[in-house]
Amino acid sequence: MLLGVDVGGTFTDAVLVGSDGAVHTAKVPTTPADQALGVLDAVREVLARAGAEPGEVTGFAHGMTVATNALLEGRVARTALIATAGFTDVVELGRQARMHLYKLCESSPPPLVPAELRYAAPERCGPEGPLVALDPVRAEELIEEIARAEPEAVAVALLHSYAHPEHERLLGALLRERLPAATHVSLSSELVGTFREYERTATTVLDAALSPLVGAYLRRLAAASTAQGLPEPEIMQSSGGLAASARAASHAALTVLSGPAGGVGGALLLAELADVENVLCFDMGGTSCDVCLITGGRVTETAERTVAGRPLALPALDIHTVGAGGGSIAWRDPGGALRVGPESAGAVPGPACYGRGGEEPTVTDANLVLGRLPRDTPLAGGLRLDRAAAERAVARLARELGLGEERDGHDDDGDPDGVLACAAGIVRVAEAEMLRALRVMTVERGIDPRELALMSFGGAGPLHACALADELGIVRVLCPRTSGVLCALGLAAAAPRRDVSRTVMLRGEAFSEDELVRARDELLAETRPGVGPGSSSESRSGSAGAAGSVDSDDFLDVNARVHARTRVQAHNRMVYEMRYRGQSHELPVESESADPTILREAFARAHEQRYGYRDDSGEVELVTMRASVWGEAPELSLREGGGDHGRIEGPAVCPLPEATLYVPPGWSGTADEWGTVRLERS
Amino acid sequence: MSGRSGLDPIQLQVLTGALRAACEEMGAVLIRSARSSNIKERRDASTALFDPAGEMVMQAEHIPVHLGSMPAAVEAVLDEDHSQGMSWVLNDPFAGGTHLPDITVITPILLDGVLMGYAASRAHHADVGGRIPGSMPADSRTLEEEGVVIGPTRLDEPTLRGLSAQMRQPAEREADLRAQLAANRMGALRLCELARRIGAERLSGAFGAVLDYAERRTRACLAALPDGEHHAEDVLEAPEGDLTLRLQATVAGERLILDFTGSAAQHGGNLNCPLAVTRSACLFATRVLTDPDIPPSAGAYRPIEIIVPGGSILNARPTPLPGDAGASGAVSRPAVAAGNVETSSRVADLVLAAFGRAQGQGTMNNLTLGAAPDAPQRDGAGGRKDREGREAGFSYYETLGGGQGACPDADGPSGVHVAMSNTLNTPVEALEREFPVRVVEYALRRGSGGAGAHRGGDGVVRELEALREMTFSLIAERRRHSPRGAAGGEPGLPGRDSIDGQPIPGKTTGTLKPGQRLRLETPGGGGHGRH
Repeated sequence: MLLGVDVGGTFTDAVLVGSDGAVHTAKVPTTPADQALGVLDAVREVLARAGAEPGEVTGFAHGMTVATNALLEGRVARTALIATAGFTDVVELGRQARMHLYKLCESSPPPLVPAELRYAAPERCGPEGPLVALDPVRAEELIEEIARAEPEAVAVALLHSYAHPEHERLLGALLRERLPAATHVSLSSELVGTFREYERTATTVLDAALSPLVGAYLRRLAAASTAQGLPEPEIMQSSGGLAASARAASHAALTVLSGPAGGVGGALLLAELADVENVLCFDMGGTSCDVCLITGGRVTETAERTVAGRPLALPALDIHTVGAGGGSIAWRDPGGALRVGPESAGAVPGPACYGRGGEEPTVTDANLVLGRLPRDTPLAGGLRLDRAAAERAVARLARELGLGEERDGHDDDGDPDGVLACAAGIVRVAEAEMLRALRVMTVERGIDPRELALMSFGGAGPLHACALADELGIVRVLCPRTSGVLCALGLAAAAPRRDVSRTVMLRGEAFSEDELVRARDELLAETRPGVGPGSSSESRSGSAGAAGSVDSDDFLDVNARVHARTRVQAHNRMVYEMRYRGQSHELPVESESADPTILREAFARAHEQRYGYRDDSGEVELVTMRASVWGEAPELSLREGGGDHGRIEGPAVCPLPEATLYVPPGWSGTADEWGTVRLERS
Repeated sequence: MSGRSGLDPIQLQVLTGALRAACEEMGAVLIRSARSSNIKERRDASTALFDPAGEMVMQAEHIPVHLGSMPAAVEAVLDEDHSQGMSWVLNDPFAGGTHLPDITVITPILLDGVLMGYAASRAHHADVGGRIPGSMPADSRTLEEEGVVIGPTRLDEPTLRGLSAQMRQPAEREADLRAQLAANRMGALRLCELARRIGAERLSGAFGAVLDYAERRTRACLAALPDGEHHAEDVLEAPEGDLTLRLQATVAGERLILDFTGSAAQHGGNLNCPLAVTRSACLFATRVLTDPDIPPSAGAYRPIEIIVPGGSILNARPTPLPGDAGASGAVSRPAVAAGNVETSSRVADLVLAAFGRAQGQGTMNNLTLGAAPDAPQRDGAGGRKDREGREAGFSYYETLGGGQGACPDADGPSGVHVAMSNTLNTPVEALEREFPVRVVEYALRRGSGGAGAHRGGDGVVRELEALREMTFSLIAERRRHSPRGAAGGEPGLPGRDSIDGQPIPGKTTGTLKPGQRLRLETPGGGGHGRH
C-alpha cells in the first residue's frame, strides 16, 4: 500500500492506495507548532478508514512546509559562512539591484548569516585552478575561530569552487572533525555545483540555516513512523522527486518548495491518467495563484527560482506565483479604474460573504453575486456564504465607480445599481492578472498555449478556468475533484530523484563527445555513491533492503524500496545548459545523446522556439550539466468512482468537493473515471 | 467616466493591463534574445508602445534612465513615410536619442494598411564605435568621439550590417539590434491583436482614455502635496571645476513645475544632457515622490512642466562651428557620455532634495575596460594566454552600486543602485571567465553611510587587477562632495578611486598594465534625522 501525506496551510491530507487500487483519504487539521502531529493523525485516520495496519504500508511519501515556514518566519539556525578572503560580503551585496525601482528604501531580506559570523578563507581559485593555495595550518586556525563562535551550522562557499572544490572539501573535512557532530556543514560545490557566486553562496547559506530545524523535524517524524511500524517517510523535494528522509534532513534547501511540488505531482499524475501530455496547470487559492507547465509529460524545471526574496540555485519545478486569489480585494484607484489586489482579505476576515467582518468586495464575493458559487451548499469547513453581504460590498464599489449612474438609461437590464456589472468587472480584472501569469509561462517562453490543456485546481481555480482558456485560445479544460487529495495522491505516486549539477564551461575543441561522456559519467557516479557509472538500475534492484530501514542518504536504499512496489524502471536524465558565446543566460536541453552536434542542434532549435531566432554562425558553449537520477515510479492502479455529474452543458455551476466549477456557455463535458471533469469548447 | 473614449472603469483597467503585458512581453523578448551582457544580465533596456500621434501609451522600464525619454525618439520619425515591415533606428542625442550607446529601434505598426501606433525598444549597446572600447570615454569633448552618431535612419538589412560593422564586436551589435527588432515585432503583434479585439477604430479613443487615466492619477498625487516653492542647489564635478545646478520646484494645485533656470551652461566636457535625459531624471524623481503604480505613459507626465533654457548643461544643443556663423549649417555637437549616466543622477537628487530627501550615492560609477585587437599580448605578470580569439579585443562595461540615502522612515539600503540605474552586477565567476581581469576584492564599504535617526546605506569597494594591458575609462561623481543628509542627518562619505594605491580623479581615462590594480570605493548615502 502506498501512503501520501500532504501538509497544507489549513488541512493535512492523507491518501492510501491499496494494492487492489482502492483509494482511501483522510483530512485532519494541520498542526503548525509541530507538523508531525498532524501527519501522524492523518496517517492513523486513513489507516483506520482502510482497515489497514501500518506494516502493510510499503511506501510513505511526505510533502511538507516546514522549511518554507521556518524561512518565512525567520526561525533559522545560528549560521556561519566561510567565503574567499575579500568576498565575505558577496552574500549581502547580492546582484546590487535595489528591490523596487521607486520605493528607494525597500530592502532585500537580510542575509541569513550576519556580518560577524562571516569568515575569510585565506585562499583563492581562478577559473583555471588555485591561485592562492589553502594552507592547512591557517585553515585549522580559522576553524578554531569558528568553533569558538559556536555556530549551529556552517556554510562554505568559495570562489570558482564549482570547478575547483578542493579547498571547500578540505575546510568541510576540518569542520566535521573539529566541530560537534550536531553542527551542520554545507559545501557549495557539493550542494549546488554551478557558477555565479552570489546565487551559489546564498543557496548554501539557506541550506545550512534551515537544515538543523528541518533535520530535527524529519528525524522526529521518522522515529515516530518506524515506532508505529510505518516505513520512514520519503520527502518531496522542490524538484518534484522524493528524497530519503536522511538526505532531506541533511539538505533542507532541497525541500523549500516541497509543498507546491506535491501539488504539481498530483497534476502530473492526473494528466497521465487523462492521457494528456501538454498541460498548463493553474492552482488558485485564497491569496495567490500558481502556474506551471507540463510539456511532453514532464513538468518544466528551473534552477533560477527565488524563495521569499532569496535565490535558490537548485533544480526546482518552475512554478510562477502571482498574488491574485479568491480573497483579492477590489477597489477604485485614484484614476477611477477598477483594480483587484494585491491586497487580500485572506482567510480572516476573509471575503465579505464569509460573514467574519470583512467589508471589502473580493473576487469570491463577485463570483457569488454572479451566481457562480452555490448559495446554500456549505463550502469546505462548513462555511455558508452570505450573498446579501457580498452584494452590499460590491454595490458600494459600484457606486464609487459610478457604474449604477452610467447605466441609468438601461433601466430594463435588471441591474439598476450596476452590481452585476461591477461583479463581472471584478472577475474580468482579476482574470487579467491571472492571465499575465499564464502568459509568462507560455507565450513569453515561445510556447503556444493553444496546444495545451488547462488544468485548474485549488478552491478558486475552476471558477475561472474556462474564461482563462478562452482568452488563451485553449479548447480543453481539466478540473480534478479535490486538490488536497490530489497533492497527497501525487505524493503517493512520486518517484525518488537525486540531482547533481556542475558548471563545466566547455567551448571550442573542449566541447567534444569524449569530454561530455567523461563529465556525464562523473556526474552520474556522484548521484549514486558506491555504484559505478556502468551499473544499470536492474543490476542494483537485486539489493532490495527492507522498507523502513532506510537510514542513509544513499540512493541505493531509496531505489530498493521503490523496487519493492513497482516494475516501472528507474532512469537517468541529462540536461545540458547551453548558450551562444557572449550570452549570459543558458537554455536547458534534455538529451540522451552526448554528441555535440546533436546537442548544438537541439540548443539552436530550443533557442529559436524561445527567442525566435537561431544563430548558426554563433559559437555554442556548454555551461552546465545537470544529471538527475530517478528511481522507479510506483505503478498505480487506481479505482475511483467518478462521473457523477453526468453531462455538463454550460452555463452551469458544478459543486466539486472543496471547489466550485463554473462552466460558461459554449463549454461542455463530463467527468472521467478518475473524477476529473473534462470540458471542451464547443 | 465612459466619456469620449467609451471605456468604463473595467475596460480601462483591462486595457491598461493588456498594454502593460504587451510591453513586458516585448522586454522579455529583448532581454532574452540579446547577446550582450549589458542588455541580458544588466537589463539596460526598455520597451514601449505609442499611439499614431506619437504619444507613449505604455512603457516597460527595466531601468529608470529610459523613463519618459523614448517619446523624443518616436517624435523624430513621426513625419516619415511608414509602411508594413519597416523599422527606424537612431541614437543621436540631439535627434531623439539620449547618449550614443542607447540605440532606439522604432517600428510602425500597421493593420490593413492603417497606422495603429509604434513599438519602440531602446537598449544600451556595449559599444558604438567610439574612440575607446565601450564608447564611454571619460574625457570626450565632442559627440563624434563617443561613437557612431545615427540620425533617424531606416533600419533595413544593409543598414543593420553597415552600422554594426562600424562598431566593435559587430556580430554582437547585429544580434542586439535583431533582438530589438524581435521585441518590436512582438509589440506590433500584440497591438494588432488588441485592435482586432476591440476594433481598430475604437483603439485610438481607448489610447486616449489610458493616457487621461494616468494623468488623473498623477494629478491626484500632486494635489496631495502642499502648494509652495522649494529650492535645491547642487554641483557636478566637472574636470575643470564644479558646475552648479539649480532647481526651483513649484507645487501649484495639481501641477508641478520644475524650473532649472540658473543652472550652468553646457560645457566642453561630456556632462551635457539633452533635454530628454533631464526629463527622464525629473520623471524618475516625481515617480518616487508620488505613486510608482501610475502607468508610465505620456499622460502621467502631462501635469509636470519642466523648464530648462536652451544651451544649459541640462538642455544642451549643437552649436554652429566657430567661424561658420551658420553659413553652411555645420554644427559642433557637445559630448554627452557622462550626462546620461551621471548628470541625470544629479537632476534626480535635486528634485528629491527639494522635497527634503537625503541623497544617495548619486553616481553609477561607470567603468569601461577594453583592449583593441592589436594591443600587445603579455604572457608574464599574471597574463593569461588566450586560445580562442580574445586577441580580437574586448570591451567590458560595469556600473557599481553604493549607499542609498536614508528615508524619513527607514535606513538607506547598502550597495545598491540608487537612482537612474538598477542593473545587475556581473558575477565575479562570469567576469573572470570572459575577460582578462581578476577581482581582488568586492565588499561593502562599512561605515561610509551617513549617521542619522535613519542611516544612509554603505557604499561598496571593488578592486580589479588587469591581467593584460588594457584601457580603462572611469566616469564617477561624488568624489569631491558628499551625498548630503536631510533633516539633520549626516552626509555619507564621498567616493574615492586609486591605481595601486595612488589616488586618481573620478573622471579618468588611462591604461592599466598587467598586474596593476584599480580600486573603486563608492559613496555612502546621507542619513535622515538627527542621530
